[in-house]
Amino acid sequence: MIQSLTAIADALPYMLRGALVTIGLVAGAMGLGLVLGVTFAVGQVYGNVYIRSLVKIYVWFFRGVPLLVLLFLFYFGLFSLLEINLSAFTVAVIVLGLITSAYQSQIFRGAILSLPEGQLKAARAIGMSDVKAIIFIVLPQALRLSVPGWSNEYSIVLKDSAVAYALGVTEIMARAHFVASRTYEHLPLYFSAGVLFMIITYLGTKALKILEERVKIPGYS
Amino acid sequence: MVKGRLWSFISVFLVVMLAGASFAFAEEKVYINGIDANFPPFAYVDKNGVPDGFDVKSVDWIAKEMGFKVTHKPMDWDGIIPSLKAKKIDMIASGMSITEKRQEQVNFTIPYWIISQVLVAPKDCSISVDEILSNGNKVGVQRGTTEAKWMEENLIQKAKKDFSLVHYDSAPLAVEDVVNGRIVAAAMDDAPAKDAVRKKPVKILGTFGMAEENFGYAVRKEDKKLLDMLNQGLKRLMASPYWEELKKKYELD
Repeated sequence: MIQSLTAIADALPYMLRGALVTIGLVAGAMGLGLVLGVTFAVGQVYGNVYIRSLVKIYVWFFRGVPLLVLLFLFYFGLFSLLEINLSAFTVAVIVLGLITSAYQSQIFRGAILSLPEGQLKAARAIGMSDVKAIIFIVLPQALRLSVPGWSNEYSIVLKDSAVAYALGVTEIMARAHFVASRTYEHLPLYFSAGVLFMIITYLGTKALKILEERVKIPGYS
Repeated sequence: MVKGRLWSFISVFLVVMLAGASFAFAEEKVYINGIDANFPPFAYVDKNGVPDGFDVKSVDWIAKEMGFKVTHKPMDWDGIIPSLKAKKIDMIASGMSITEKRQEQVNFTIPYWIISQVLVAPKDCSISVDEILSNGNKVGVQRGTTEAKWMEENLIQKAKKDFSLVHYDSAPLAVEDVVNGRIVAAAMDDAPAKDAVRKKPVKILGTFGMAEENFGYAVRKEDKKLLDMLNQGLKRLMASPYWEELKKKYELD
């Protein structure tokens, strides 16, 4: 028991630095996913038939292929073939970001569709262009309505990020594994890895809950 | 007002993302040595998360002697040769056995260590190596290693021995499963096996017929300059008293 606690205490600073890598992975992926996801959602709702089917194919692909497969495909396959030398961290951010953008686009799409259609008509009636109406009328509301779904997606991406360990990204899981190999204290180390993930999930969803309250549209249910 | 907050929230994420990306791009021009950090005592990460081990310290000495810079990057053993060929790393000094198959892909330095493969079993195990490799037993190996390949080709396919292999991410995980009782034994290099014996209730049962192997550092085929530097450096290192010091420090005698 004491041995286990010592193992955790010894490994903690190293694992905490791994938590920063994990947070970097998630922040990067969620940011990329947000930008792409909003774009795709707008494209799928308001775009013409080609844009709509393009987004549909994109979503179908990234929702259908396992993360691990995509990581290997991009890192050892695609980027190597194109001779683009990106670090494992960058590739993991890109792949996680592309996958979550597929899911996020559906969150935003749902939010956009839940808005009353009359708003867009009213915006046109007062002389706004479609682009203006989408940017200033539709998206500010849709993004606020999306926070709960986005928060859910955050916890999923956070947990998925552990798979980046397979590329050699030294995030929490990889570090737990390295220390366990040296000390043979597997149980306490994987346990602390789990606790670290739980804490980051909790803090992130808590922060997003506060954001949700702050940006709530008054009187809108 | 509310809109401002929303945008600041979005921009914070963008900044973090960009910072992450630029952090990943800002690579100094130093040689990167890819290591399997799950391979004590040759390569592992120490208490502070710094790469350490017999191979790591050897390469550090050689780099200083030959006047080049090197960093050590822990990574997954499975993808270590693809990573070398894809220029993610420049060399592999991490207890890699020199084999013909690997020589088709990469160049090796002169051998610096002879290793034999052994079976690791629970301390109270009373059966012989032959009995372990029969009766439909399960034997653990690390994925992508020479012993995994050799056992599959020679013992299972050619000699038709009645046992099966269970593949693990690292040798210590295989040892963990020996202790758990899910497999009867694990096949691995003798040096990490000795490391396991010091830390877990297991013992080395003996060799299982695989020929001894030599460890060498691997570099890309076209990197002749680095290969020369490493060969020179290895020769000097092995002739220096530091070599004996290293062996003692990592309990390799």
